[in-house]
Amino acid sequence: MKVDRKETLRYLGYRGQEPDTQTEKLIEEVTEELERGSLPKSVYREYDCNVVGDKVKIGPLTVVSHHLSKNLQGCEKAVILAATIGRCADLMIKKYSVTNMAKATVVQAAGASAIEVYVDEVEEEVRKSARERGLYLRPRFSPGYGDFSLDYQKEVFSILECGKRIGVTLTEGNLMMPTKSVTAIIGLTTLMHQSCHQKTCSSCEKTDCEFRVE
Amino acid sequence: MRFKERLGKELLFFDGAMGTMLQERGLQTGEIPELWNMTHEEVILDVHKQYLEAGCDIVKANTFGINPFKMESTGYTCEELTKKGIELVKRAIQETGKEAYTALDIGSLGKLLEPLGELTFDEAYEAFKPVCIAGEQAGADLVLIETMNDTYEIKAAVLAAKENTSLPIVVTMVFDEGGKLLTGADMEAAVAMLEGLRVDAIGLNCGFGPDVMKEFLPKLREVCSLPIVVNPNAGLPVVVDGKTCFHVGPEEFAGIMAEIAEEGISVLGGCCGTTPAHIKALVESCKGKTPLAITEKGRSVVSSYTHAVVLDNRPKIIGERINPTGKSRLKQALRENDLEYIYKEALAQQDMGAHILDVNVGLPEIDEVSMMKSVLTGLQGITDLPLQIDTSDMEAMEQGMRLYNGKPLINSVNGKKESMDAVFPLVAKYGGMVVCLTLDENGIPETAEGRIEIAERIIAEAARYGIHKKDLLMDTLCMTISTGQENAKITLDALDYVRNTLGVHTTLGVSNVSFGLPQRELVNTAFYTIALSRGLSAGIINPNSEKMMAAYHSYCALNGSDTQCTDYINLYSQQAEAPKKTADKKEVTLYDAVVRGLIDSAYQAAKKELETREPLAVIDEDLIPALDKVGQGFEKKTVFLPQLLMSADAAKAGFDAIKEFLKAKGDASASKGTIIVATVKGDIHDIGKNIVKVLLENYGFNVIDLGKDVPPETVVETAKENDVKLVGLSALMTTTVVNMETTIKMLKEELPECKVMVGGAVLTQTYADMIGADFYSKDAMGSVRYANELFENL
Repeated sequence: MKVDRKETLRYLGYRGQEPDTQTEKLIEEVTEELERGSLPKSVYREYDCNVVGDKVKIGPLTVVSHHLSKNLQGCEKAVILAATIGRCADLMIKKYSVTNMAKATVVQAAGASAIEVYVDEVEEEVRKSARERGLYLRPRFSPGYGDFSLDYQKEVFSILECGKRIGVTLTEGNLMMPTKSVTAIIGLTTLMHQSCHQKTCSSCEKTDCEFRVE
Repeated sequence: MRFKERLGKELLFFDGAMGTMLQERGLQTGEIPELWNMTHEEVILDVHKQYLEAGCDIVKANTFGINPFKMESTGYTCEELTKKGIELVKRAIQETGKEAYTALDIGSLGKLLEPLGELTFDEAYEAFKPVCIAGEQAGADLVLIETMNDTYEIKAAVLAAKENTSLPIVVTMVFDEGGKLLTGADMEAAVAMLEGLRVDAIGLNCGFGPDVMKEFLPKLREVCSLPIVVNPNAGLPVVVDGKTCFHVGPEEFAGIMAEIAEEGISVLGGCCGTTPAHIKALVESCKGKTPLAITEKGRSVVSSYTHAVVLDNRPKIIGERINPTGKSRLKQALRENDLEYIYKEALAQQDMGAHILDVNVGLPEIDEVSMMKSVLTGLQGITDLPLQIDTSDMEAMEQGMRLYNGKPLINSVNGKKESMDAVFPLVAKYGGMVVCLTLDENGIPETAEGRIEIAERIIAEAARYGIHKKDLLMDTLCMTISTGQENAKITLDALDYVRNTLGVHTTLGVSNVSFGLPQRELVNTAFYTIALSRGLSAGIINPNSEKMMAAYHSYCALNGSDTQCTDYINLYSQQAEAPKKTADKKEVTLYDAVVRGLIDSAYQAAKKELETREPLAVIDEDLIPALDKVGQGFEKKTVFLPQLLMSADAAKAGFDAIKEFLKAKGDASASKGTIIVATVKGDIHDIGKNIVKVLLENYGFNVIDLGKDVPPETVVETAKENDVKLVGLSALMTTTVVNMETTIKMLKEELPECKVMVGGAVLTQTYADMIGADFYSKDAMGSVRYANELFENL
């Protein structure tokens, strides 16, 4: 598992500036501890995908969401995926919140970067297997994006057996523990022009977000 | 014959998968298999029968997922589903005429326990309890706790089974390719805890096929003194067309399992993907084999939730700092419920190289039982070192042992009958190594022989409780040489005999030796080195003492336990550069120290300033302007969050110096006002709230931090109790903003004067207005500005 230093800086609010030596040292220490302590795990399953209006059917999962249906337009298959870097980041944040809050914020940023890097790796695996069958990937789409309700987390978790397979559980409010975890749907399509590698925030309505990528 | 009588003496066979068999018969993804006990009982019965015909000795009831959380909306109670599950096995046994044991199968609750999750240890225990009771009542022969990946959850399940049934307990866990549970626990840590809890067999299941599992077995056998169970999958799961498949067929499976049987494994069976054909082949391939004899490994181990600390040729350090005796700052922290101070002490000792931390929170004026519980729970969330539960209050000891996630060190028992009668039953029940003081009803013997005699008595009495001498840590009692020069020799002679002749590990409260003498560290260091060379296994010392640590590391280099002196060289080769650093620090002013985020320098500089200036002047002219400069930089985006917080920490060190100064003069420091901060109900992301807290404290506010997932009622009650004028609420998710709104509404109803500021990732000014907040802060500095304005105008 790797941490992307650039992304860590971005999450910390840097926009191209270089950090001072003290912050640099914190980032180095945190990255090292995080890369050593993380236990990345993932689980995903591919199903037939069927979109009618705003209703999406992916194997055993039925979702009503305008945004997701738009994302999966023209996809005959879709992958349901969950990934985590494990508990290390959460435990580090807990620990450093007591002794060194600056370090805790760096863990937060580096952890966010790490899970993204890891999900990209898992997605690459999916891409490879899809390519062999002439299928292309749509950008991944997670519960909580747009009008794809977080309530669907429960079903996603039950389908993927997240607790048993990768040790991720849901809180009562449908948040994931460990927090540095991701669930997502990835549509697979035969139509190359519909695939899209770009990471954007275009489906998110929070247009004033500090971290927005256009 | 009963299960326990055969376990370990002959090979026994579990059955294979239930889920796989049910999926073939139409169980849908996401459907709850245990409900089939009610809706498809003939199918369940048939699966059991097939496994019985295949020759298994133990049948797992279809009860794996039964717990109050998963069964909540099914319309069935845990009790009736469990009862039915057991009955179906019994019926299958009867109808096939086979002889077999019925296992009550218990799996994970599917919820994460504290410190990370929402579920408390007691709640987990309560969730397992009804299933255990119903299982025994329905006639189960044993409890199988399986597919577990969190030692804390396992402990809750084991205690639920132990305290509510008299059934034998088997525990199997899922380790990953690195040999760790999902919590990060290694095999030895898990085994130490489970042996301590006196379960009957330990093993592995799920996760991998038999080939990979085989690789784990040498390590498991090295550390485990109990019968071992192996229930692998039929290979790794492969998803084909949305369906999970397993590719290791019966013959291949049985072939590898037969090799595993040769390696001293007592019980074999299957998990996901295995079928009656796999079990049939397995039983046949093991015909005529008997398990190797199980040997006591004699390892002296304590463990935390991640790792074990083994007492061996390399001495270990027990950090003594969390013990109020003679420490006024810690006493104050305990009285004020300032747990953060205790956590910092813990982490500082860990950084200095302690292996185990002593935890003594006994003060006459506090409730030691509840303090022990909250400190232990808190410490387990921030440090992965094993802990020593140090108390003379038996209730605090028992509650501590119960809540401890691992195999603790217990301090202490002694040769008095009363003490052994109270402590040994606890050790026998919960597990642990225990410090044994060589004193009895007649006091502390003045001769080595006297202490040795008590040590022998303690060893014999422990054995009566089934406590092996490997779990005793003998303390031959260190007394000061200022009252008797023979004292050191007596202690050391007794220690030497205990370790080298009786073969029991040893400890000492090392610093007692110099009580009443000047320059105590000199005597302590010399005595410590001598004690180590005579056989001190784990001294209780102050790891923050550089001289003691130097003695320790030098000793390890000398006795050969620090291989190639690696640690010694790493630690001390760069020491020469240290003085230069100190020279640098002297140059820094308080203002600069805060701006640059230098914690130690800020503290020293503040102390120096206080020699000549008024505290208020130091705050107004140095600390606040420095914080403001950093704060402004943050808003202009020339300073970033980590720097802002490093400066905040440095300022805090400066404020600490001022507080100490005022306290020494008898002045109570005035706070600018009290503010509550909380992350609202349902939300668990609290780092933003913590940042705000640090900054507010730095600007002189008294902050009550209610933590995360805080119910509206708690916020309102706390605000009322403390007459609070400002509450800060944070929420990360759109779904929890609703709870923010409820909290604000309740606050406004009960305390119309109280202002509310809000922040968090999804919030915007519009949102904040909509839910009735008084102020929306887009970042941490915004909240400081608002609080300052508000309290100035009050």
